[in-house]
Amino acid sequence: MRHAKHFVRLFALLAVVLIAFLAVRAQVVPKDFGTLGRFRASAIKEAAMREPRHLGNEACSDCHAKVNDAWAAGKHHTPQCENCHGPGLLHVKVMSEDSVAAYPDRIKAFPKALRPTTGTQECLWCHLKTFERPSALKSIKNVERHTIEKGGTFTAASKCTDCHNPHTTVVKQ
Amino acid sequence: MTSPADHEELTRRAFLEKCAEAGAHTFLFGSLFVTTAMMRLPQEATSRTVGPRGGTAKEVIYGFVVDTTKCIGCGSCVRACKAENNVPDGYNRTWVEQYTFFPNGEVIVNSPNGGENGFEDDLPERNMPEEIGQLPVRGFFVPKLCNHCIDTPCIQVCPVGASYKTAEGVVLVDPQRCVGCGYCVQACPFGSRFLNPETNTADKCTWCYHRITKGLKPACVEYCPAKARIFGNVNDPYSEISQILATNRVQVLKSYLGTRPRTRYIGLDSEVI
Repeated sequence: MRHAKHFVRLFALLAVVLIAFLAVRAQVVPKDFGTLGRFRASAIKEAAMREPRHLGNEACSDCHAKVNDAWAAGKHHTPQCENCHGPGLLHVKVMSEDSVAAYPDRIKAFPKALRPTTGTQECLWCHLKTFERPSALKSIKNVERHTIEKGGTFTAASKCTDCHNPHTTVVKQ
Repeated sequence: MTSPADHEELTRRAFLEKCAEAGAHTFLFGSLFVTTAMMRLPQEATSRTVGPRGGTAKEVIYGFVVDTTKCIGCGSCVRACKAENNVPDGYNRTWVEQYTFFPNGEVIVNSPNGGENGFEDDLPERNMPEEIGQLPVRGFFVPKLCNHCIDTPCIQVCPVGASYKTAEGVVLVDPQRCVGCGYCVQACPFGSRFLNPETNTADKCTWCYHRITKGLKPACVEYCPAKARIFGNVNDPYSEISQILATNRVQVLKSYLGTRPRTRYIGLDSEVI
């Protein structure tokens, strides 16, 4: 057995490489990788865990019941609160009484933690006439022309909400 | 190299040759073992039958229908999606495309900021080019999002197993595993994925997985004022989406690619790509 030690060295080396590979693999590959497929099974739970940021009208009506009732009784049903005002999660957190103390700086910087509304842009998202928009939708070509046509006076500060109530679509007198 | 006589004549060259031979055998049998082991990996739990009455009653298979005939192009879906999922500026998980057709056969597709700020009435400007010079003949909006394909090119190319499909048929990214190589971004034929510059991982529409698992609708569906987006369990014959799939003729984007999308479209024009 002149060459026996060659084999011993070779297999020893292979064994070391194999053990090193298995050790690294055990460290690098997560435990639940491959139990449901070629991915980390717990990633599904993590993806489902995140908190929804849009809370829905019911959450809004907890504090703003009056506006919500007006909206429900009016004709402007398809857009909901958060369509124009933005997601309410942070707003609720900031405005709830125990959080007001916790985030004084944030409240100072951004009082309501909601998307600021312009009173015109939110309307024009849907109601600006474009060629591709279905004609059944009530839409205007131009805010200035619309104001003048309806007998109003248009200034740079004019807003849709000057005349229209966005929550009910009732035209203010 | 078995008999003692061989050992006496074994040269260094012959020894190395034999070693290489043994190595090749190990590799071949090893790869065979690995291949069979991979074939035995648990397959995706979803059933292959997808339809209003397909699958068994217990399984939840989500489906999505976009009714392009109802879309008014307001961009509510885009804004709701970006706010709900904290999508960085300049990137979109869902977007709205504006198609305008001119009499000379020219089609203009427009999607400023993905439709996040709505669409302008820029018709006078659009008529300015000499080569068009005519009023458009027809136009419409097409909302786009991840198709959550059954045969996904994006999951196949992921080298680290960061992209996967849940039992409900939702295609998701594991941000912990993702190395941000961008293969999936290139593999997706619908442009639904992007590399998020904040996390440096692949990002995409999840059908708001964190909402649908809590019984809510995806943000874009909930806040579509035109009800152009319908989401639900296609395995429940009484769900809204099953009723819509049963009573409408639906189409998928790029059906010739064979990715079998779970997002289906009503009123899809042949010019829409």
